[in-house]
Amino acid sequence: MFVLFCPHCREKREEEEFGYGGEAFRVRPVAPETADDETWGDYLFMRKNPKGWHWELWTHTTGCRKFFVVKRNTATNAIAGSWTLAEGRNVYDAEGGAG
Amino acid sequence: MTDFRIRHPNARVDFRRPLSFSFDGQVYPGYAGDTLASALLGNGVRMLGRSFKYGRPRGIVGAGPEEPNALVQIEAGPLTIPNLKATQVELYEGLIARRTSGWPTLAFDLKSFCGPLSRFMPAGFYYKTFQNQKLWPYFETIIRQAAGYGSAPEEADPETYDHRHRHVQVVIVGGGACGLFAALDLGRSGLNVVLLDEQNEMGGWLLSSPHTSIGGESAEAWLRAILAELQSLPNVAVLTRTSAFALHDMNLLLAVEQLQDHRPLAERSESKPRQRLHRIRADRIILATGAIERPLVFGNNDLPGVLTASALTTYLNRYGVAVGKRVVLQTSNDHVYQGACDLARMGCSVVLADTRSRPNTVWEQRAHSAGVDVRPGYGIAAAHGGRTTHAARLAKLDGEQNTVLAPGPLIECDVVGSSGGLSPTVHLYCHDGGRPLWDESRLAFVAPEMGRAEAGIFCTGAVTGTFGLQAGLEQAQRVTDAVLASLQKSATRKARNLETDEPDSIPARRIFRVPDGKPEGHGKKAFVDFQNDVTAADIHLAVRENYRSIEHIKRYTALGFGTDQGKLSNVNGFAIAADAMGKSIPEVGTTTYRPAYSPVTFGTLAGAHEGDTFEPRRYTAMHAAHVKRDAVFENVGQWLRPQYFLRPGEDRDAAVRRECLAARRTVGIMDASTLGKIDIQGKDVREFLNRIYANAWTQLAPGKCRYGLMLDENGMVMDDGVTACISDRHFLMTTTTGGAARVLTWLENWHQTEWPDLDVYMTSVTDHWATAAVVGPKSREVLAKVCSDIDFAPSAFKFMDWREGTVADVPARVFRISFSGELAFEINVDASYGPHVWEALLEAGAEFGIMPYGTDAMHVLRAEKGFIIVGQDTDGSMTPFDLDMAWAVAMKKPFSFIGKRSLARSDTSAPNRKQLVGLLTEDPTVVLAEGAQIIEQSDLEPPVPMLGHVTSSYFSPELNRSIAMAVVRDGIQRRSEEGRKLGRDAVFAYADGKTHKVKVVSPVFVDPEGARQNA
Amino acid sequence: MREPIPQSPLHAFGLASQARAVDEGCGVWANEIALLGYISLRGNSADPAFVNKVTSVTGVPLPVEPCSFATSGGIKVLWLSPDEWIIVCGGHRLSDILGGLRSGLEGIRSQIADNSGGYTQVLLKGRNALDVLQHASVYDFASLAPGRVVGTTFGKSSVYAHRMDEGFCLLVRRSFADYIWRYLARAAAPYGLGIAALEATGHAGHGVAA
Repeated sequence: MFVLFCPHCREKREEEEFGYGGEAFRVRPVAPETADDETWGDYLFMRKNPKGWHWELWTHTTGCRKFFVVKRNTATNAIAGSWTLAEGRNVYDAEGGAG
Repeated sequence: MTDFRIRHPNARVDFRRPLSFSFDGQVYPGYAGDTLASALLGNGVRMLGRSFKYGRPRGIVGAGPEEPNALVQIEAGPLTIPNLKATQVELYEGLIARRTSGWPTLAFDLKSFCGPLSRFMPAGFYYKTFQNQKLWPYFETIIRQAAGYGSAPEEADPETYDHRHRHVQVVIVGGGACGLFAALDLGRSGLNVVLLDEQNEMGGWLLSSPHTSIGGESAEAWLRAILAELQSLPNVAVLTRTSAFALHDMNLLLAVEQLQDHRPLAERSESKPRQRLHRIRADRIILATGAIERPLVFGNNDLPGVLTASALTTYLNRYGVAVGKRVVLQTSNDHVYQGACDLARMGCSVVLADTRSRPNTVWEQRAHSAGVDVRPGYGIAAAHGGRTTHAARLAKLDGEQNTVLAPGPLIECDVVGSSGGLSPTVHLYCHDGGRPLWDESRLAFVAPEMGRAEAGIFCTGAVTGTFGLQAGLEQAQRVTDAVLASLQKSATRKARNLETDEPDSIPARRIFRVPDGKPEGHGKKAFVDFQNDVTAADIHLAVRENYRSIEHIKRYTALGFGTDQGKLSNVNGFAIAADAMGKSIPEVGTTTYRPAYSPVTFGTLAGAHEGDTFEPRRYTAMHAAHVKRDAVFENVGQWLRPQYFLRPGEDRDAAVRRECLAARRTVGIMDASTLGKIDIQGKDVREFLNRIYANAWTQLAPGKCRYGLMLDENGMVMDDGVTACISDRHFLMTTTTGGAARVLTWLENWHQTEWPDLDVYMTSVTDHWATAAVVGPKSREVLAKVCSDIDFAPSAFKFMDWREGTVADVPARVFRISFSGELAFEINVDASYGPHVWEALLEAGAEFGIMPYGTDAMHVLRAEKGFIIVGQDTDGSMTPFDLDMAWAVAMKKPFSFIGKRSLARSDTSAPNRKQLVGLLTEDPTVVLAEGAQIIEQSDLEPPVPMLGHVTSSYFSPELNRSIAMAVVRDGIQRRSEEGRKLGRDAVFAYADGKTHKVKVVSPVFVDPEGARQNA
Repeated sequence: MREPIPQSPLHAFGLASQARAVDEGCGVWANEIALLGYISLRGNSADPAFVNKVTSVTGVPLPVEPCSFATSGGIKVLWLSPDEWIIVCGGHRLSDILGGLRSGLEGIRSQIADNSGGYTQVLLKGRNALDVLQHASVYDFASLAPGRVVGTTFGKSSVYAHRMDEGFCLLVRRSFADYIWRYLARAAAPYGLGIAALEATGHAGHGVAA
């Protein structure tokens, strides 16, 4: 049971208030129709699933209902931070989108 | 009856308050402050049970949570509690306790006859013997009964439990000297602190060593002063009888507080819970969990009357019980000496075999002056006795090797105590990723002082291997400073005198198994784990059989598996395994420490989540109206919905039949309030719906509704419902009852993460609207009676239109939509007025024979029309095309709606998929089982290829025959003209051992042209 | 035909008839504040046109600070998220506020939804009110200052709770109200639960909004 900082409510809250939303910053192919089966299949089914730092989506279910991103270490459950989608995108991109 | 009491003033029992209790039907005296164990020992009750595997007599070994043998059953009936440790049961007036082991009776145990056969019951005995799996259930029953665990209560638990969430700056686990000291300093600094301890009073080992002095004060006075000050600090909560049993991520500590079990039954509060689960989220945690003395492993060390030396000391000093009068102790270390002196001073004869050839001279001197007969260089080769202990055979040990130099004397005694050193209670430290370190100088797995400071976890006292009191207090002071510093605070304390009267300690002897001069397995049985009857020989056997990982050895021998979780046995087991393998202890390592540290009741874990607060039960505004009309309810998600309404003399089938026919022939009314309703507004709402739904929303005019299919990105149907256009920038979406929350989150997810640029907002209005569906040929006439501001003429108010108006004087939205295929209207009003409008509609419909109907009838009516229920007729693998619903998919919309691309994936677009069809049984009276398998032939000779399964199946009152829906491989082709010609429509449905011939048909059984709903 | 009479979500518990003046006899006092008007409002708090218009219609400065609420003239506006609020008003004000918002926010990115039937509020006060919340919710209610609102768990359900000077107020969805009341009553039982008499002002039944 973690504690997550909600970047919208600006408070640390217990994990029970949140829902997990999977890997963050997945890219939906811009033109799905022209994407080949492999590209589309990668989007649908393939996840980074790293042992280590992982950018993930959470939603503050009982609170503000906003989605936000958390950088969490899947091996230790250490949390590097949580950001709004827009802020997180900048940090993620600055890291080179590393998983 | 012999009295083993020594009524000295330092005891923590109150000799002025005698109590009586019963054990195994016999009544005994005891005192307030006793545990069941101390009271039994005070009465000379030695043997409390028989062992798990060999049926050997067993008695009390420890004085706390480490106790492996003395498992008892408390009270009877619904209040009975099995498998409590007698050492942890606080005595109260009238307590009734029973042994849990020894079957059929304590004195005569069938398994004791196994004793002579025990060489045929080695480690892995059960694995090796019961390979015949068919007989296992039979043997299991007998083994479980013979093994002797208590019985769970058979009646419902009348007591209550609750949870309490705490958010604190510091939680301190363990109220011994170090924990108290830390609490005091942190409390004085103004921090929000919780201090908890599993015992009935704070003090830890100080309660067992009243003669110790701290800074010139007696331990007792020191303790009293600290407790008084802690009580006066409003920012410090002191919880006794509270056992921390788990430490989880980010400093979430779980602890269970006993609120009632120590009180006589008559004095327990009805309104207060029995146990409380504290879920403590702490910025910092200090583990001052102490240590548990581990016994030495020697021959017959499991006899009743063989205890840990510290338990003997505790019983003497804390409870005023001399377990025996003629005591033989053996030790590898200094810790035993104080207790030995105390026993001798209280009049016991004490022989102390110190396995070290050169004991600590200061202690040796003190022991001599107290009258203790110290025997340096000796150990106990074996204890002698049966149901109690009569003597101990000493052996002269080699000074270096753990071997016997020469046999020693046989010393008559009535109790034996041993100490193999202290094992720090590192369990909590290890629950959350901490690893214990082997400290060779202290012969212990310890937690580091700075714990995992980066995570906010600190350790102090014996858990770190700091066994001395003065050293512990100094360490507690350091740790407190570190905690304060980490919270940007500093201690404001004066220098204090922490001097104690402990002599400097000298190293312990590295000995775990005391040798008896024989090869392992040939001497008297020497037990490592008492509860699971694991001997030193078993561990050697496991190693000989080539088990190398300590985790495997644990599982093969059952070492540490019991309710004591190996608190006494683990380290001895690791060490013996290491010796057997010729490895060092750190190379062997430890098994994994997992929650719970000690057993926790299901009641505590459930808390208030039971009875009528087990799970949210959601009610519609009209619930009372349904109760009044004898509705039988079913759970749909968390909602309670009327399933059918029973009239006198009816059974369920008759009620459903009556309700269905009312809707088909005259008029019925259903509470549809539970459907999810999402209000969506914004100038991009049409575009948003175009992306979310498979079908098109660009052209839908205000005042109109449309059915929509929602797909997931895999192209599979995930929800459906009718969405109405309120205005060009305002739509009202309905979802399935169970899908409401999921769909709203789904919409928000797409909007927030993918399309934040779309001008659209959505809000759940599920609870705002109460919805009554008025269904049947007479529905128009009913509505016209209660609503004068809507034109209900068929040409003015068409199927899939909605109108705003006033129903029974309440503003309403009326939708002409139908989940039954009949002419039908759904009336939506502010839920506060739901009951009023519901009654008004029933009143208006009375002349037509209006009948409320439930979900059973709803299911039949919709199945007669072939309408799907998402989640019943679909299972996450059905595309719209599989459902033959291509009409609800708009492939030409500009934006590639969710799921669209996946519909073109090779598998999704493959032929021969399972598709939704109707089924008609050859015998019209047969209602197929839902879930029945569809097969090509009636021949059941394996392999039988499965074509699909029945998803919905009912008896249709309208058709007076059974109908079913099913997903069947290639089903749409099978029911086509071509399929019929080829005979592919003839298949079989198999369930419950019966095979029925069925025809694959269209799932629309009633009114395929839709004349009724369009009427 | 009978006059339409609204029923609040906790109608079945008959709380009004059990209400009495708060005294020291019970550790926890609670009651349903029934049948108010509730308006779900969404919009862009960075858009001054939106903020100003809402403020002028309600007469309450729109709270944009996370987890805060504002109140004025019997109207309360709770912050639920950066773009979501709920406006709580007496039933007699519902229609004009809804109408004022709809016309005032025409053309401004926003959502206005009458949710009056969908919510109720539970007042919770007394010396053990905080204890009850700590039995029921994972949130650290001790840290909730007056003027703050928080969306969090309650048993296996959820509530928006705000703290006033006199105690706590739980904003509860209609269909969960029965569960939440039972859970609250169970948690409060060891401390003694009294049904608190409510001050009459602003608690009148809500009107029927068009």
